[in-house]
Amino acid sequence: MKKLSLLGLGAGLIAAVAFSAAPAQAESTLDIVKKRGHLRCQIGTPAPGFYNLKKDGSWVGSDVAVCRAVAAAIFDDPNKVEFQSVTSTVRFTALANGESDFLSRTTTWTLYRDTQLGLTFTTVNFYDGQGFMVPKDSGINSALDLKGATVCVLTGTTTELNLTDFSRTNKLDIQPVVFEDSNVRNETYLKGGCDAITNDKSGLASNKAGFPDPGAHTILPETISKEPLGPMVRKGDGQWFDIVRWTVFALVAAEEMGINQGNVASLAANPTSPEMARMLGKEGDLDKGLGLPKDWVVRVIGAVGNYGEIYGKYMGSKSPDGIGIARAGSQNDLWTKGGLMYAPPFR
Amino acid sequence: MAVADKGLSGASAGSSILNDERYRSVFYQIVVFGLIAWTGYYLIANTANNLQSRGMSVGLDFLSGEAGFSIAWSLLEFKPNDSYFWVYLIGITNTLIVSFIAIILTTILGFFVGIMRLSSNWLVSNLAGWYVEILRNTPLLLQIIFWYLGVFSLLPRPKQSLDFGGAELFFLNNRGFYMPKAVPGELFWITVIAILVAIAGAIYLTHRSNRIQEATGEYHSAFWPSLALLIGLPLAVFFASGSPLGFEIPALKGFNFRGGGRIPPAMCALLIALVIYHSSYAGEMVRAGIMSVSHGQTEASYSLGLKPSWTMRLVIIPQAMRAIIPPMISLWMNVVKNSSLAIAIGYPDIVSVFMQTSLNQSGHAIEIVAMVMLFYMTVSLSISAALNVYNKHVQLKER
Amino acid sequence: MTDIQAPSDRELLIFKPKPSQPPPPATTGLIGWLRMNLFSSVSNTLLTVIGFYLIYLVASAVNHWGIELAVWNADTRRECLDQSPYGACWAGVFVWFNRFIYGRYPDLEQWRVSLTWVIFAAWMAPVWFPRVTSKVAIGLSAILIYPFLAGYFYLGGERNWFMEIMVSVAILSFVLCWAHVLLCLITGRGLGTTIISLSGYAGKHDKTHKYPIIAFGAVGFVIVYALISGWTLKEIGTNNWGGLFLTLVISGIGIAFALPAGIVLALGRRSKMPVIRVVCVAFIELLRSVPLITVLFMATTMFPLFLPEGLVFNKLASAIVAVCLFSAAYMAETVRGGLQAINKGQYEAAAAIGLGYWPMMALIIMPQALKLMIPNIVGSFIGLFKDTTLVSIIGLYDMLGMIKAVSQNPQWIGLHHEPLVTAAMIFFIGCFAMSKYSRHLEKKLGQGDRR
Repeated sequence: MKKLSLLGLGAGLIAAVAFSAAPAQAESTLDIVKKRGHLRCQIGTPAPGFYNLKKDGSWVGSDVAVCRAVAAAIFDDPNKVEFQSVTSTVRFTALANGESDFLSRTTTWTLYRDTQLGLTFTTVNFYDGQGFMVPKDSGINSALDLKGATVCVLTGTTTELNLTDFSRTNKLDIQPVVFEDSNVRNETYLKGGCDAITNDKSGLASNKAGFPDPGAHTILPETISKEPLGPMVRKGDGQWFDIVRWTVFALVAAEEMGINQGNVASLAANPTSPEMARMLGKEGDLDKGLGLPKDWVVRVIGAVGNYGEIYGKYMGSKSPDGIGIARAGSQNDLWTKGGLMYAPPFR
Repeated sequence: MAVADKGLSGASAGSSILNDERYRSVFYQIVVFGLIAWTGYYLIANTANNLQSRGMSVGLDFLSGEAGFSIAWSLLEFKPNDSYFWVYLIGITNTLIVSFIAIILTTILGFFVGIMRLSSNWLVSNLAGWYVEILRNTPLLLQIIFWYLGVFSLLPRPKQSLDFGGAELFFLNNRGFYMPKAVPGELFWITVIAILVAIAGAIYLTHRSNRIQEATGEYHSAFWPSLALLIGLPLAVFFASGSPLGFEIPALKGFNFRGGGRIPPAMCALLIALVIYHSSYAGEMVRAGIMSVSHGQTEASYSLGLKPSWTMRLVIIPQAMRAIIPPMISLWMNVVKNSSLAIAIGYPDIVSVFMQTSLNQSGHAIEIVAMVMLFYMTVSLSISAALNVYNKHVQLKER
Repeated sequence: MTDIQAPSDRELLIFKPKPSQPPPPATTGLIGWLRMNLFSSVSNTLLTVIGFYLIYLVASAVNHWGIELAVWNADTRRECLDQSPYGACWAGVFVWFNRFIYGRYPDLEQWRVSLTWVIFAAWMAPVWFPRVTSKVAIGLSAILIYPFLAGYFYLGGERNWFMEIMVSVAILSFVLCWAHVLLCLITGRGLGTTIISLSGYAGKHDKTHKYPIIAFGAVGFVIVYALISGWTLKEIGTNNWGGLFLTLVISGIGIAFALPAGIVLALGRRSKMPVIRVVCVAFIELLRSVPLITVLFMATTMFPLFLPEGLVFNKLASAIVAVCLFSAAYMAETVRGGLQAINKGQYEAAAAIGLGYWPMMALIIMPQALKLMIPNIVGSFIGLFKDTTLVSIIGLYDMLGMIKAVSQNPQWIGLHHEPLVTAAMIFFIGCFAMSKYSRHLEKKLGQGDRR
C-alpha cells in the first residue's frame, strides 16, 4: 500500500508542477497574457548577441529586447516576461501548442514555415546571411576556393542544408562535419579539424571574438543564403500579430525620428512633428486596433530604447555585451542610410 | 488454521466470490487491460486531433523524399539527393559498426583490467582500481567530449600527417586515420567462398577432436590443422583465381587526403571513450567472476596434477565465464545504447543523422522516433535472446 | 631471566620456546613492503616502473595546465587569454560558480535552495545516530513529506489549501522529528513516551495511548498552520531552475519514483496473471532496450502531441517523466534480480504461516531481496545521476546546459574546459561517495550472513 501511495504521490506532484493553464480557443492572446500577468516569450539556447545569460542569471540580447519591448507595451514593465529557452528542434511545437505567446529567436523567414506550420512571421528584425570563416594564413580568399574542404557546421538548422546546396551548385565536394555544440565545433576548427566554419555571419563574428587570436581568422565575403530573422506568432489572432509586428516597427520608427530612451519622455510631452505626436499617443487614436494603452510606444522606448540603441548594446562593439558587428552600410542599417530597416508610417 | 486455509485455496467453502483468487485475478486483469486500452485510445485520439489541427500528416511517405543534406562519414555511400530511408540505413550501419568494434575492444580491455585488479603488484592493482573508480563515477558524455577535444583534436593537420611505417600507406591526422582500401576484383567472390569453407572445416575439425577425446580419452589437438586450413585454403584459391584484389592508396590532394579508407576522429574518439568507459565495468565483472570460483577448485586441479596454465584454462575460466557472460552481454547492450551519445561530437550515428537532422528537416517526429526505437529494440532483443540461449546452455545442471 | 636463575621443579616441566628470530631485514619495514608489493619479480618491477611513469605523465600535464599556467583572477575570458593563453582560466569558474550550482535562480533567493538541502541533511541525519528510536518513521517522513516542503521552497508563490496543509505538516514533522531525537539523546525516552507520561495516560490502558499523541499533533498542526498562514515566498518559475540544483531535482525525483515503481513492475513481471505480466514485460523491455536520449527526444517532440489541445506540459516535466519511466524500468530489473535470489522456501514458509500476497512481499521477501540488491540499487542511482547530464541535449539548463550557456556569453565566449573539469569533479565526488557508502552498507547489513 505504501508503494501505491508513493506512486500516486509522485504522479500528483508531477501533475501539479507540469500542467499550466493554456489558452482556450475563444480568448485572444492579449487577454490571456494580461490575465496571466506576464508574457511568455520563446528564445533559443544562448547565442551571443541575440540572447545570452548575464552573471546574475538574467537574459540579455537583441531578441530578448523585443520580448521586453512587447511586455513593456502591455504591462509597462519590461521584466514581466517569462523567458522560455528552447532548442531549435522543438521551437515551432512549443509555439504552436501555446506554451509560448510568441517566438523571438533567430528563425529564418521561409515560405514553408510561414504557411505550413500554423504559424506566421511578423516582420524582420535582423537580416543575416550564411558565410564562411577561415584562418587567415590558409590562403583562401573566396568560398569557391573551398573545393574538397572539410567544413564544420551545426546541426538542427537550415545551415546544414544551405551548405550542401552551395557545395552541389558549385561542385565543391565539401565534406561537412556536423556538431551539436558550438564550443566543440569551434575547438575542432581552431585545432585544424576542419578548414572552415559555416554559420550565420553574426554567429561567425561573435564566435571569432572569443578565439584566442581573433585577428588570425577572416570571414569570407560570400553570403550563401538569405536569413531574414524575425518574431513569429500563431496564426489566427490578428490583434496579437499586429502587437508584435508594430512593436518592432515602433523600435525602428523611433530611431528614424530620433526618439531614444533618454529623450522619449520629454518628446512625448512636446512632440516635434505630427507623426511623432501620433506615434507617442499625444494625438489621434492609433492604439485602438491594438488594444494597448495610448502611450504604449513611450513605454516601449522608455524600457528598451530604439532599434539603434538595442543594436549598439548587443550587436555593436562598444558595449561589454556587444559582439562587434559593424552596422554602418549593412542591411541592418536604417533605410535612410542605405539599409533595409524600414517601418511603415504611423498614421 | 481456518485463516490459513482461506489464504491458500481461495475456492474453499464459505468464502464469497470476492475472496476467490481466480475471480479476483480475472478482475484485476480486466481493470489493467481497460486502463491500458483507455490510455492508448486517449493518446491516439489526442495525437490525431493535434496533428489535424496543425495540418500535419502521419505516414512513411516522407521516407522516399530527398534528404538534401550531407553526412560526414558513412560505411555505405551517401549522396545529398538520396532518400530519408537511405539516411536511416546509413545511421544504422554507422551505429552498428562503431558498437561492434567497441564491444570487441571493451571485452578484451575489460579482461586486462580485471586481471590487473587482481595483480599482486600493489601499484598495478591500485592503479587499476582508481582507473575503474574514476571512469565509473563521471558522466560518459563528459568523457566523450574529453577524448574528442583533449586528445583527437591535438593531432597534426593533414599536411603534417603522421605516416605510419613510412610507407605512405597509413596516415594519421586530425581529419582521421587513413589507410589503403581494398577494392575487390571480379573473381573475388571465389576467395570469399573459400574463406567460408575454411571456417566450416575448422569448426568440424575441432568438433571431431572433441568427440574423439570424449570417446577414447586421447587428445589430438585440432589447432594446427585448423590454422593451416584457415590460412592455406583462402590463400591458395586467391592466387589460383589470379589475385583479384586491388588497393586504393590515400594521397594528399588539396585540403584533404583522397582515396583509401578513412576513420574520422569523431569515430576514433567515440570508440576510445566507449571502450575505456565500459572496460571499467567489464573489468569489475571479470574480477568478480574469477573471484567467484572457489579456491578449492584451484587446489583440486593442482592435486590432480594439472599445470597452472591448464588449471586456469580448463577449470577456472569455464566456471568464471558462467558469472561473467550474463552481465557482460547486458554491458554490450549498454555499449550499443551509449553509442547514441555520438551526437555530442558529430559522429553521424542513427540518433544524430535520423533523430536530429532528419527530424528537424522533415518534422515527422512520431515516425522517426518510432523507427529509431524499433532499431534499438531489435538490436537489444536479439542480444538478450542470445543471452537467454547461452544461459540455458551453461546453467548448472543440478541433480 | 630471573626464572631461569631460580628454577623450581614445577617450572622445569614447562616448555620454553626460544624467542623467534627477527624476520630478515629485507621483508620488513618500507623496503620489505616495497619488495613484496612492487618489485617481487622482473615483470612486476617493469609494471611498477611503467605505472609510475604513467602517473608522472598525467600529474605533470595536469599541473602544467591547471596550476602552473592557470589564471585565477580575471574579469573576462580575453583577460585570461592575454595573461596565459595555454593555461586554465579558473577565474571563469569562480565568476560563474553560482550559476553552475543554482542555474538562473535569482541570487537573492538562492538561500531557499541551500536551506532545503540543509533541512534534508538534518532530517536524514538522525537515522545514523545511535540511541535514537523510530528511525524508520523518521526516514519515511523525510522521503514522503519532505518533497512538499522542498517543492514549495523551490517554487514559491501562493499556496492553495493542499499545499498549505502539506507545508504545515512538513514543518511540523521536521520539528517533531528533532524534538524526538533530542529527547532520545538527552533522556533516552522517545517523544511518544514522553507525551504519554506527561499527560498522565501512562497508567491507563494501552489503547488509549494514542489520544494524547493525536491531540498533541493536532495542536502542533494548528499552531504551525496559523504561523505560516501569512508567509509566502517569491514565486520562481521552473524555467529559472538550473545547474546542479536541476540535476539533483531531476535525479532525485527519478530515484524516488524508480524504487517503488520498480518494485511494482518487478512484482508484475513475476505475477501469475498473464495480462499484467505481459504489460510489465513489454514496458520494461521497451524502455530498457532504447537509449535514454531517444526517450528524452520522444518526451520533447511527442508528448506535446499526446496531450489534449489546450493542455501544455512544460519541458522540465516532460524530461522528469521520461527519466522516471526510464529509471523505473531499470530498477524493475534490479529488483527482479534480488527476488530471484530469494529461496523458494521463503515463499512457501510465508504461505504456510498464512500470509497473503502483499504481507508476504512486504514482510518476508522484500526486506531480504532489498538487502541483497543494495549495491545494484546504488549502482542504478549513480547511473541515473550521471545520465541526467543528457537533459542538456534537449535544452534544459542542468550543469552541462549552464556550462554551454556560459560559453556563449560575449565576455566569456568559448570558456568551456575549466567548467567541464569542475563538473567532472563534482560528479566524481558525488558518485564516488555514493558507491563507497553502498559498500559500507553492504558490509554492515551483510554481517548476519557472514560465516
